[in-house]
Amino acid sequence: MRKDLRERLGKEWLFFDGGMGSLLQEKGLKGGELPERWNLTHPDIIRELHESYLRAGSDIFNANTFGLNSLKFPGETGELVKAAIRIAKEARTAAGREDAYIALDIGPTGKLLEPMGDLSFDRAVELYAEVMKTGASEGADLIMIETMSDTYETKAAVLAAKENTDLPVIVTCVFDEKGKMLTGGTVDAAVAMLEGLGVDALGMNCGLGPVQMYALAARMVERASVPVVINPNAGLPRSENGRTVYDVGPDEFTEAMVKIAGLGIQAAGGCCGTTPAHITKVVEAFRKIPFTPAVPKNHTVVTSFSTAVTAGEKPVIVGERINPTGKKKFKEALRANDIDYILSQGLEQEEAGADILDVNVGLPEIDEPAMMKTVVTRLQGVTGLPLQLDTTDMQALEQGLRYYNGKAMVNSVNGKDEVIGQVMPLVKKYGGVLVGLTLDENGIPDTAEGRVAIAEKIYQAADRYGIPRKDIVIDGLCLTISSDTSAASVTLETVRRIREDYNGHTILGVSNVSFGLPQRQMINSTFLTMAVTKGLSFAIMNPNSLQMMAAYRTCLALSGQDPQCVGFIEAYGREDAPVLTVTSSAADASAVKTKEQGKAGMTLTSAIEKGLTGLASSLMKEALQNADPLQIINEQLIPALDKVGQGFEKGTIFLPQLLMSADAAKAAFEEAKAFMADSPQDKKGTIIVATVKGDIHDIGKNIVKVMLENYGYDVIDLGKDVPPETIVQCAIDHKVRLVGLSALMTTTVVGMEETIRLLREKKPDTLVMVGGAVLTQEYADMIGADHYAKDAMATVRYADEVFADA
Amino acid sequence: MLNIDIREVLRYLGYRGIRETDPGLAALIESCMADVQKACSPRSVCRSFPLEKVTDNECVFAGLQVKSRNLAKNLRSCTEVVMMAVTIGSGTDQLIRRAELTNVLQAYVYQAVGAAACEALAEEVDQTIRQEALSRGLYARPRFSPGYGDLSLEMQLDFERILQMRKIAGISLNESLLMTPTKSVTAIIGLSPEPRECHKAGCEECTLAGNCPYSRV
Repeated sequence: MRKDLRERLGKEWLFFDGGMGSLLQEKGLKGGELPERWNLTHPDIIRELHESYLRAGSDIFNANTFGLNSLKFPGETGELVKAAIRIAKEARTAAGREDAYIALDIGPTGKLLEPMGDLSFDRAVELYAEVMKTGASEGADLIMIETMSDTYETKAAVLAAKENTDLPVIVTCVFDEKGKMLTGGTVDAAVAMLEGLGVDALGMNCGLGPVQMYALAARMVERASVPVVINPNAGLPRSENGRTVYDVGPDEFTEAMVKIAGLGIQAAGGCCGTTPAHITKVVEAFRKIPFTPAVPKNHTVVTSFSTAVTAGEKPVIVGERINPTGKKKFKEALRANDIDYILSQGLEQEEAGADILDVNVGLPEIDEPAMMKTVVTRLQGVTGLPLQLDTTDMQALEQGLRYYNGKAMVNSVNGKDEVIGQVMPLVKKYGGVLVGLTLDENGIPDTAEGRVAIAEKIYQAADRYGIPRKDIVIDGLCLTISSDTSAASVTLETVRRIREDYNGHTILGVSNVSFGLPQRQMINSTFLTMAVTKGLSFAIMNPNSLQMMAAYRTCLALSGQDPQCVGFIEAYGREDAPVLTVTSSAADASAVKTKEQGKAGMTLTSAIEKGLTGLASSLMKEALQNADPLQIINEQLIPALDKVGQGFEKGTIFLPQLLMSADAAKAAFEEAKAFMADSPQDKKGTIIVATVKGDIHDIGKNIVKVMLENYGYDVIDLGKDVPPETIVQCAIDHKVRLVGLSALMTTTVVGMEETIRLLREKKPDTLVMVGGAVLTQEYADMIGADHYAKDAMATVRYADEVFADA
Repeated sequence: MLNIDIREVLRYLGYRGIRETDPGLAALIESCMADVQKACSPRSVCRSFPLEKVTDNECVFAGLQVKSRNLAKNLRSCTEVVMMAVTIGSGTDQLIRRAELTNVLQAYVYQAVGAAACEALAEEVDQTIRQEALSRGLYARPRFSPGYGDLSLEMQLDFERILQMRKIAGISLNESLLMTPTKSVTAIIGLSPEPRECHKAGCEECTLAGNCPYSRV
């Protein structure tokens, strides 16, 4: 009878089947026809195909379920899955191969996940779960998730499998010749994420032939601890009379596969264009090659959807700025749900050199789990840096881990049994690199021995929960030297011992050490250098600090971790590079001169007209010394803006210049605002702007927003793809008189019409202005808008009209 | 490297009939062009099919019956049809999203440069198809895309299915049939044994001609 697959996987050669779709096409499957439907219409052909692969020597074969889900087959998914497994069982019996395993074959949903696409992560998990539950109860022996080109969708599929079945899970992804998945993931990133999620084996299929896969397979074997599966196409596809053909025959295919076998893979088969003849040859050849079991690797890897950061290569900078502690503006942003501000903090640190971003969005008065989910998903849309989820709220941690696209860093667990019992199961389920703080129920030990003992306890707990020790990073904790001058040496000794005695990795928040002292960055930067020489792997710090980055880069250069000093020269070799050469902070400030300031004789008006942001704000500052802010605004700023606006309307000035002027005016406004901080400015009125449901183009809407703000309006920006109900509710809640709607496509103007209809019904006193590429006056009239604005200036003019009588 | 035409970038930025730009803006455009080039991961897929039938308002190819007067006119006398899809990848979309957080002007310029880059890629693939056809004595007609004239945007679904756009090129459709990455193009190119000196396409055939700030005409 059949052995447990997990007993055999990684211990002996196992063979998969080959192409299915390409063979069905030969049997008459039409280009656009869905092969899964053949489970009902042509069961004999499917069964014969299975049988021929089983006779060729396949140990694991895919039931005909690849594209099955309720999006493509609403109402009939269950029936088709059942038929597929039944046919597979019949084939197994007919071929006399009761030892073979039926894989429930799972492919991409065909839809792109949010936030780039419109399929939610939860819905993807649900779609997969439905197929997997049926497959498992019908008797599939494993779940084979294959041809995956998006790590996020892959994660949804693996979670669905783990949450709904006990079956072994094997995942193979598609890479291009540059070693990237379609969504940018590398081999290193995919391996780390999948192992974190606890798959039984992983590998690659489709996309490439065996020759092109060689180098990628080598990398995969180098990185993976679980067995590696390689299922290539029969070469690269070629189009012939509207048909896709593959040219690599069984002999040539096998020759290339034998080379890959030598790399130390554990299982092999084929994909598009391969046939039972290919598999027969591969099985024959592999039987003569000695089998190598998979070897556990000791890489500590944090990943995003695209990037893998490996500990130990050089010290990793974890940017600490996404954190409300001691930051008034950040707290305000959290309360006001100003996600853009939080994201901009991430981008700033990325520019400054962070490798990983710490994400702490905890405030007692907000819904932290929801905020964690939002910030994590939105950050993934704008940066490829991996994230460190920093929270003590277990629900927030679970949300962060679940919706994270990769293998996150988790900050943190400690030696307390209760905390271990909460955090470790989550890390076991979702994968992650876990920070272990060396403190427990009795506080922080005073000695390195005490801290190492807690580290030992955390390592042992990880063993119990099945989390590999390489995924634990110890935080030796640092207390301020202002209260105990031996604090730093205890921390450094802890770092050294974890590195030397445990071959483990460590992390430190380096700024605590100077608490209570003047010139903290001096202490912090030297402490960083000292910790790195003791073997520190991760430093939680502020990458926006020139002094800290200087210490970091100098340290790399001096310790031979910056080959040819390339990084150092890149950072500081330019003439205008940010360096610390001044002796006092006052001199530092005066040293920062913008080129714009060289342009003598400019007035505030002309600076705004020319769009010189830096100059506009410094001229405003000067002007504020001698004149009333409102007077300057009314006599210089507004006329300048108006002149540019009129130029734009006449067609002598173009949109980029209009935006540059708007930017300069905004900078000048900010100066005036800061000056009049006590007397809040009157806003002319509140306006909602939104790109309607179904449409994802929002640049035009954003330009309108900038212009309206410039002209003194309070703008509520609801973003893109906004449902009518949201817009109407917001208009009611904020008693808004004017709503601006944007749509770019004829197909999405429907969403605009629907929004207007609902507004008329629920809040009839609202005026609606519409704009966007496809709109015309006639179109606007047809859908019942109050005003058609042909460009950003036109929205300003209309708003002025609407609010003139207010 | 894609051959991005700076004049196209200026056109997408809304400049008409002017080639002088402010030096600050010129520098911004230049740096945005460099960023977009770096962020590009061009992919394309095309397949050709015999054109089985073409009447005044209908074309039959690739198992499709396409109702469109404009496309039928474009494909008159053709014997083959090439369906193509190209994308410069999602890198530029990320650049735009990032800039939207900090600098709308920069986002706007990335938008324009991305559009021009995608156009350049489509042109490159178009040229390859044109050359290959010519070697077989066939002449390529101008590119024609879903959404042009009376050709329904619904045809995007046929492109997705027939070209396996998602799997091969990484192009997905949302519920409104818009493509992600946004800098992607789908098009039909007719191949005809009859030479015809007509490169009328795009703006010239568009129902918005004269009403659109980005129009070439």
